[in-house]
Amino acid sequence: MSGLLLDNISKSFGSVDVLKSISTAFNAGQVTAIVGDNGAGKSTLLKLMAGIHAPDRGSVALYGKSLIDLSASEHRRCGIEMVYQDFALAKQHDVVTNLFLGRERTHSWFGFLNRRAMREAAQLELDRLGIQIPDLKKPVGLLSGGQQQAVAIARAVLFNPKVLLLDEPTAALAAREVGQVLDLIRQQKQQGRVVILVSHRLNDVFAVADRIVVMKQGSIKNDTPTSDTTLSQVVENIVG
Amino acid sequence: MFAKFFSQNLNRLYLAQCLLFLAALGVFFSLTSPYFLSLGNISNVLTASAVIGLIAIGATFVIASGGIDLSSAAVMAFCGTVGAWCLQKGAWSPLLALPFAIGLGGLFGFLTGFLINVTKAPSFIVSLGMLSIARAAAYIVSYGMPIYGLPDPVIAAGQGQIAGIPVPVVLLIAGIVLAWVVLTKTRFGIHALILGDNAFAAEAMGVLTNRVRLKIFTLAGLYSGLAGIIFMLRTNSGDPSAGQNYELIGITAVILGGANLFGGRATIIGTILGILCLGVLQNGLNLLAVSTYYQILFVGLVLLAAAFLSRMGYRR
Repeated sequence: MSGLLLDNISKSFGSVDVLKSISTAFNAGQVTAIVGDNGAGKSTLLKLMAGIHAPDRGSVALYGKSLIDLSASEHRRCGIEMVYQDFALAKQHDVVTNLFLGRERTHSWFGFLNRRAMREAAQLELDRLGIQIPDLKKPVGLLSGGQQQAVAIARAVLFNPKVLLLDEPTAALAAREVGQVLDLIRQQKQQGRVVILVSHRLNDVFAVADRIVVMKQGSIKNDTPTSDTTLSQVVENIVG
Repeated sequence: MFAKFFSQNLNRLYLAQCLLFLAALGVFFSLTSPYFLSLGNISNVLTASAVIGLIAIGATFVIASGGIDLSSAAVMAFCGTVGAWCLQKGAWSPLLALPFAIGLGGLFGFLTGFLINVTKAPSFIVSLGMLSIARAAAYIVSYGMPIYGLPDPVIAAGQGQIAGIPVPVVLLIAGIVLAWVVLTKTRFGIHALILGDNAFAAEAMGVLTNRVRLKIFTLAGLYSGLAGIIFMLRTNSGDPSAGQNYELIGITAVILGGANLFGGRATIIGTILGILCLGVLQNGLNLLAVSTYYQILFVGLVLLAAAFLSRMGYRR
């Protein structure tokens, strides 16, 4: 089922046309990878779906509901979460604070934090995702890159989103940490979410994606199921 | 085990450092001056620390959010001068004049936060401008002269005691408790710290950062206003030139207490320890009859040491 629908999307920054009449649909329970060379428009497309940029023309709809003119916060409330390339974590703060950032649980009076409820919910969610973090009070800046990425993904899925956008989720990770993050992405697919990832690491893309969309100069050059293509064909589409 | 305990919580490390420094000062001055540990002297240290303590508490919120407020002492002087004018020249009721003067401090803070949000200029620059405006406003209100002669009941209340504790110290304690609760127990407090830690993350997660900044500077302005009223009550005057460099001493205390000058980490307890360190240092040097010039030198050296330690923490 099509969860997120883009119809004739265009976006320019000044005189540069970054996205040109993009139309496509992203399905629930499927991982779609968007690949392409630098400047192809992948990240802009992702930020547009997250509500960080607004399209100049065209429409974006989530399960039939138009998202045009909604802010990034409103996109989050509609169920679209994004995991940023640099994780967007407050590194001097602990895991629980980061997981609930912007959506803290409070007692009903004066906005007093309900830390116990947040700590318990955080531990439950991390256990459910199979993320091992020995000390939730540790500042996230002291965690490994893989653990930080896991916290960023856990934060994105904590409130049960419909769409998960991942910008270069494995770019900053050591090889041994990549597998853990790819497992987390597969879990999200099994939960029936729309999962869209932008990545330069084609081996990771082939390991996890059901569909590969190749972008070039602001347009979709190729859109194919992963099972119907090869790494060399994708590379050819990117550079050709 | 100790290394792990401290490395996972820099607040603990800096609080321990500050406590050690305070203890060292206490031991040194108690050995060198027979008056240092007397009840009267301790009361003096606490009373003298009240004004800068309140300024430093406001600065704690600002520094936690990654900002700097250079206008706090000038706002303090303005609020004290306006309070004195209302009481002495205007013959206002204290119940009206004192909240009005403190509220003006909040208004100055609100304006500072508003201008930072609108212009996107660094808080350093905006608050520098507000420093000049507040100081000029204090001189304009008073025609450049201190306003003397506050009503006796006001002076008696301000210089009195509650349960044996001087009123300025009682107000400082109330300010500390309120700030501690707000910074550690509320959503606003955690958002103030996150704003300084990673403003992009805060915005990306839907925190209304401009609104948080407005509240922070307004709160800091209110604390400056209260500090101005206490200064006015202690000196029985509204002095437009009061509190020169107090903002820098307040910032020194915050950094000494373990705050990260670049934002994201600050504690009220640390700030109070920082204030006590500076208060004890100054008091002890006074008791030893050290020249004021050398006292300024020592405060500068302490600031340098604190900034160096803060930088080390930032690199961790």
